[in-house]
Amino acid sequence: MNYILHLLIMIEIYLILAYGLNLVVGFGGLLSLCHAVFYGIGAYASTLLMIKTGISFLPAMLMGMAITALFAFLVGIPALRFRGDHFVLVTLGFQMIVFTVLYNWVGLTRGPYGIPEIPRPGVFGYEITSLIGYLILVGVILMVTIIILFILYKSPFGLALKALRDDEMAAEGLGKSPVHTFLYAFIIAGGFASLAGSLYATYVTYIDPTSFTLDESIFLLSVLLVGGTGNRLGPLVGVVFMILLPEALRFLGLPDTVAPNVRQMIYGLTLILLMFLRPQGIAGEYKINHYGKAEN
Amino acid sequence: MEKLKIKNISKAINGLKIVDRVTASFLPGRITGLIGPNGAGKTTLFHIITGELRSDTGEINYRGEDITSLPPYRVARKGIGRLFQDVRVFENLTVSENVVSACYDHRVETPWFPFLRKKRWKALERELKEKSDYYIDYVGLMEMKDVPASSLSYGQQKLLAIARLLAGGFSLLLLDEPTAGLNPVMIKKILNILKRIVAEDQGKTIVLVEHDMSVVTEVADWVYFMNEGRIAFFGRTDHVLGDKEVREIYLGL
Repeated sequence: MNYILHLLIMIEIYLILAYGLNLVVGFGGLLSLCHAVFYGIGAYASTLLMIKTGISFLPAMLMGMAITALFAFLVGIPALRFRGDHFVLVTLGFQMIVFTVLYNWVGLTRGPYGIPEIPRPGVFGYEITSLIGYLILVGVILMVTIIILFILYKSPFGLALKALRDDEMAAEGLGKSPVHTFLYAFIIAGGFASLAGSLYATYVTYIDPTSFTLDESIFLLSVLLVGGTGNRLGPLVGVVFMILLPEALRFLGLPDTVAPNVRQMIYGLTLILLMFLRPQGIAGEYKINHYGKAEN
Repeated sequence: MEKLKIKNISKAINGLKIVDRVTASFLPGRITGLIGPNGAGKTTLFHIITGELRSDTGEINYRGEDITSLPPYRVARKGIGRLFQDVRVFENLTVSENVVSACYDHRVETPWFPFLRKKRWKALERELKEKSDYYIDYVGLMEMKDVPASSLSYGQQKLLAIARLLAGGFSLLLLDEPTAGLNPVMIKKILNILKRIVAEDQGKTIVLVEHDMSVVTEVADWVYFMNEGRIAFFGRTDHVLGDKEVREIYLGL
């Protein structure tokens, strides 16, 4: 039972990450490889605020969000001068820089030792310690996230993002500012990733930089590629599939000596097959083609 | 009186003069042709007007305002719209979404707008639904309204791009070969639309780059003839097309 609750909580956290990233990847058509950085900055910022200043969870979470949004703004300005492959590389560079800083700034982050004993969140006087309590807390924040993002998905802002994604030159010719619009999307995605980070940190009560590596960013991107982007259903399908598939493979009854490797191979093979069978993702309408965008 | 005034515009790319000291002006309520051989600099001139390219010298003035160094989205917000040679519809959006996206003002395209002005947003959506339907009907794409733009034929995509420009409320339309690659029926359709635009709204200015001389003769009373980056001739269409040099350089007669 606890195992299932744990999986549900992780699915909720990843849904927050995926729905936010969908704004950049699905609507904006920009392949960002640094989403885990915003997740990590949110986790570290809110944790350090709680530990060092003693403020409670909700204000720490919101301040972490503001700090992460500021980071996203600072990264977005140079990164959004580029499109296509070059944008991917700039976000990759940022991912590596932040990981290195988190890993080596021992004075602030304790580096590879990580931060243990992160306090459990207290919300309106209740300390949340049980898995059920956690499931509800993350669930509530996920609901708020989804409501806000769904409004954005169908707002004029969402349509402008899609127009810029499909043809930046034509959209700009209709008066849409690419830099402003993409930057807003990038900041919003960063802000919601930070929420997920704060929730994750207080849930597992221990963070170290290895939770926020390039692997994690690639995982988040593949969640969207598998599930489908640019709509409401894709991230849900992607998160559920990508989190449950490796778990399901545990029950195959493979001999212990080869099990982990075989599981990895089946997992990889499934992803490859999926890209052949449904390149737009399981629930996607739009196929990401960042090479096409590079021409603009 | 002139809407768009171009003064002494030059542009060299890799040392090659693509546009060379071009001066021209375009009047409202009129379709003005811009003709000349391939490589004469017509499309580059459009790029410079819309801000895609920065000119080396000269000045572009639109309704008394200097727009020479504005980025493309700000030029567009001044009321200059463009039909691209390669059409450029938003392929994954429906016909209707394509047109609606052109209607939105940049002030409503901020992420905070739907939260701060919820009522205004809903009202605007209804309003624009009607407006976009009007322009989709205007170009005759009503039955394709809800299909993705990628499934339209090339000619229908051109019609859609025109609807987008009209819905966007642009008062100066730079049309880069609107009839190229189309069958005679479609060409006729597009020409009728262009004539209707200036007939209905004398405030609209159309600049037409075109290779098909029958098209130019039919809709444009005045033409600029460009050759090797320069304006070689300007005059009434029949005069310019009747000129011996133009006939030699361009028409090969």
